[in-house]
Amino acid sequence: MKKKQEKLYWRRLDNSAKIFPIAAGKKYSTVFRLSVLLKEKVDSKLLEQAVNMALEQYKSFKVRMKTGFFWYYLEYNPKKAIVEQEKEYPCKYINPKTNNNYLFKVTYFENKINIDIFHSLTDGNSGSMFFKEIVYTYLELKHPDVFKNERVARKLEYNTEDSYVKNYDKKSKGSSFSKKAYILKGRKIRLGAISAIHEIIDLNQLKEESKKYGATITQYLTSVLIYSIYEENYKKYRGKKPIKVCIPVNLKKYFPSKTISNFFSYITVEANMGKNNLDTFDQIVEFVKNDFKSKLTEEEIMKTMSSNVKIGTNFAIKIVPLEIKKLLVRLSYIEIRKYTTTTFSNIGRMGIIGKYKDYIEYFLMLIAPEPVEKIKCSSCSFENKMVFTFTSILNDNKIEKRFFNFLKERNIDVQIESNGVLDDISKEIK
Amino acid sequence: MIYPKKLSSKKGELVLKILLIVSILIAILLLVINKLTTPNISWAAIANGGIVYIWIIVLYSINKNVNIAGHVMVQTIAISLLTLFIDYKLGFSGWSINISIPIIIIIANVSMLILTIVSHRKYIKYAIYQLVIVLFSTIPGILLGEDIIKNKVLSIVASGISVLNLVLTLCLCARDVKDAIIRKFHI
Repeated sequence: MKKKQEKLYWRRLDNSAKIFPIAAGKKYSTVFRLSVLLKEKVDSKLLEQAVNMALEQYKSFKVRMKTGFFWYYLEYNPKKAIVEQEKEYPCKYINPKTNNNYLFKVTYFENKINIDIFHSLTDGNSGSMFFKEIVYTYLELKHPDVFKNERVARKLEYNTEDSYVKNYDKKSKGSSFSKKAYILKGRKIRLGAISAIHEIIDLNQLKEESKKYGATITQYLTSVLIYSIYEENYKKYRGKKPIKVCIPVNLKKYFPSKTISNFFSYITVEANMGKNNLDTFDQIVEFVKNDFKSKLTEEEIMKTMSSNVKIGTNFAIKIVPLEIKKLLVRLSYIEIRKYTTTTFSNIGRMGIIGKYKDYIEYFLMLIAPEPVEKIKCSSCSFENKMVFTFTSILNDNKIEKRFFNFLKERNIDVQIESNGVLDDISKEIK
Repeated sequence: MIYPKKLSSKKGELVLKILLIVSILIAILLLVINKLTTPNISWAAIANGGIVYIWIIVLYSINKNVNIAGHVMVQTIAISLLTLFIDYKLGFSGWSINISIPIIIIIANVSMLILTIVSHRKYIKYAIYQLVIVLFSTIPGILLGEDIIKNKVLSIVASGISVLNLVLTLCLCARDVKDAIIRKFHI
């Protein structure tokens, strides 16, 4: 009976997830990565065992993508997940054919465990739940005596509903028309390579510094990011369009939902440097605070979410065959992306329970850069370490360097780790 | 150090791209030789039809996602089109629609019948391919109705077997067929 149920299991993609497989390819992977740095070397066999055990707990990840006539959909995947040593650049397109059809990929290197997740499967917040389950299970297998009782005590509660459709407001009017954004200029890195630079920041010092400006950590870091882009790219190339930073928002904070599928929206901080007289950091941080205040409201978030759901549920769009949808979206995707300069996703604190903390150094989050959004930023924190990550296809790291120096000048401890793609320049920062 | 020293970006499809270029060059070479030696017989076109057929099969086969029913469906359609093309290139005496396509359809339907009976528990995986084969199998029937086909026996047998196949499928796996249609055509 159980086998029969598994065989029949399938589910529609949620409203956000629909666009990703249509647009995804080698240039737009729409993949994000979560990594954990352990205090000991990773045992690959135990890790593979842990992944497959975690999949039994999180069955919604045990799926493969199938093609329907109008939309893609997810179907039960009877195969086992594969774990490999890290060989490729982070956040690359996941080819299901070489991955037992899974939409996530677990890799390891020395003390580090990575999971690359295709965004159609879930968002960063729910992805971190599954990742934490893998880490917990791995540590339990590695140290069975230490974690004898923990596994029994852990409770999981989630569903796979489309919380967008459940919570959106049919009557809500769409957001106002938006202008194109400043696009980062500069030579790109050699084909296919992605630079990852992690800035490991002392969280308490960062909190104190943010407080001085009356800003939250996300607001403060967004301001530093805008300031760095302004000083190192915008001024040099005499930008005119606004610097727009897309900030994903976890909708579970605003609506009741236990979904493991995507449930996020976004706000766009739109810094019109000339028009708003944003020449100094102080001016930028004041502007960002006010922009957050006006946009991060339930009403505004509902507007953005509802207008996106209305597109996905529009009957005229629904009945267009998938192949035609793919053609239209791929033709227009580069233009669509021109409304954002960069994205900064802060998934916040990685809450780790009990004794597991003792085995973990810190967590990382990375999101895939794209031909238009050449730099993307992400952050997460664990204990007193916040890791701010730049993933980039730009052939210089002046923005990263300015960001680093800015925090250093304010007496905040920052350490750098990188994947060595822009090696010489990374060493300069160190 | 939290990353390996050497990271790569996979270029796995390079071999396929090289083989594709080689195929195109061979196809052009065949056309040139044909034009220079025996321009009144278009054997190069038939050979190139074979190359296209091989590529369809290769590209489909390397996709590990595809199940056996998918292969039966693609082979049925690809071989039928190939025989039709060869027949056309040889002056269209009608052997393709009179003999080969009905035989191909009979073999495909018998294969699907065996698959249905042997593994009807896995049938949901085959349902959509089965339906496409049944749809494809209606072609001899339509041609028969239009009085285009001379050898009626084979076409009647082919259409009969496909109807039998559909009926048996609906009896054994109606729920699976319904479920497969819902998931494939959900809007």
